[in-house]
Amino acid sequence: MISGTREDHDVAEVVVEVVERVFATVDEVRRSTLAVHAAATAAGRRLSDDDVHGLAPELLARMRRPDEVAVGLGVILEPGLLGHPHLRLEWWQWVAGKDDPARLEVDLRPDSLDFYDYAGTEWFAVPRRTRRRHVVGPYVDVHGTDRYLLTLTMPVEADGEFLGVAGADLPINRFEALVLGRLGAGSAGVVVNDDGRVAFSTSSRWVIGSLCRGEMPPASRPLPGLPWRVYDWS
Amino acid sequence: MRLHHALFGPLDDAGNRREAVTRRLGGAIALGLLGDGEQLPPEQELATSLNVSTVTLRDALAELREKGLVETRRGRGGGSFVRMSGAGLSALSRERLTEMGVSDLREIGDLHVAVAGTAARLAAERASEAEIERLRELVTRLRAAEGDADVRRIDGRLHIEMAAAAQSARLTMMEIELQGELAQLTWRASAGRSGSELADARRLVVEAIGGRRADRARTLVEQQLGDETLRLIDDHIRLMRDRAGEEG
Repeated sequence: MISGTREDHDVAEVVVEVVERVFATVDEVRRSTLAVHAAATAAGRRLSDDDVHGLAPELLARMRRPDEVAVGLGVILEPGLLGHPHLRLEWWQWVAGKDDPARLEVDLRPDSLDFYDYAGTEWFAVPRRTRRRHVVGPYVDVHGTDRYLLTLTMPVEADGEFLGVAGADLPINRFEALVLGRLGAGSAGVVVNDDGRVAFSTSSRWVIGSLCRGEMPPASRPLPGLPWRVYDWS
Repeated sequence: MRLHHALFGPLDDAGNRREAVTRRLGGAIALGLLGDGEQLPPEQELATSLNVSTVTLRDALAELREKGLVETRRGRGGGSFVRMSGAGLSALSRERLTEMGVSDLREIGDLHVAVAGTAARLAAERASEAEIERLRELVTRLRAAEGDADVRRIDGRLHIEMAAAAQSARLTMMEIELQGELAQLTWRASAGRSGSELADARRLVVEAIGGRRADRARTLVEQQLGDETLRLIDDHIRLMRDRAGEEG
């Protein structure tokens, strides 16, 4: 196969590289959460609302880094972990029209139309159940950011106890730009998630967000450590 | 978030601002964004968020108090607290219904049909099995819902989730804004039908989505929302005539 003068990169390789970059940031947040939890445990008390609040400056600093690609970053706790409040998240995000990241304020009252029922979301429930990292999306984030996103989460565990998840939001447009920007002109492929939904594609035959039904390229393989499969050709 | 903005975000300059604030807060109570017994944010904060003067806000609160939707306690631990009152919300939505004209109601209905009908069609093509399952759960909750306010909320949520299942952030935003507007107009879902009646209708839509029958899903939504708009228009005309009868 003849490739152009620029070096071609394999779709799978580039997608994994971009995703791992975001997971590296999520892992830092996970470690910070574990550190405050360990400090509370060493002091003979349970994790407190203030401890979680104490993660905010670091999250804010990470969000402000010029090379940070995530638009949202934070930690979401297992319901009841703190005692009070029952539900707790510490999440910071870039919002259109604002000069600095803002804390995500969500409605945590179960009776509200706007209730942010995070324990039931796939990005929380799957890492909780499997104790492994997960990628959700693309999906419309109705109660958080109103954007079309990928959400990447990792379980936060201390001595086998599930404390919650650390996670990051990556808008699908940014993900696409990062991958397309690293691919050479010759390589081609479609990335499909475990719902059969297109997460990335180099062809308008498979549009991001649509479900793959009907004819697909013959060869596919799973992407390591991700709930995704790549169909590629060149 | 978007719903919060639709009800607590800055008002534009058109119309009577006191009435607009009253309606917005009434809608927020109807949709549960302000819960029963919950203390309202400080007046200054709320006024800034809505972009009105504190005088306007106080006038609106006085009206809500008169309708039994807000209670003000003095002294330590005092402030303004939300009271969930079906009668109060009905009175508000009746007033709103008489402020609008038939063509305004038709316009809202037209837009809702365009947004929700397209969302249903695209959801049939694009929704994952997990998303379809979530829509089914909402229909089950709708069937079990007791009280008009619960029916309203769950039906609103079902429409919003349907737009999200269509994989369109823009349709979702438009649906959320429409729900914020409809909550001010008719806090009861679909002119007071019971949860189980409404669930029968919505179940057909969700099953069409689950069966990947895009055209049927769209047609059902168009029919249902079209009928609901006509019922609202009938309510409006009746209210206007009753009022004329009282005055004449």
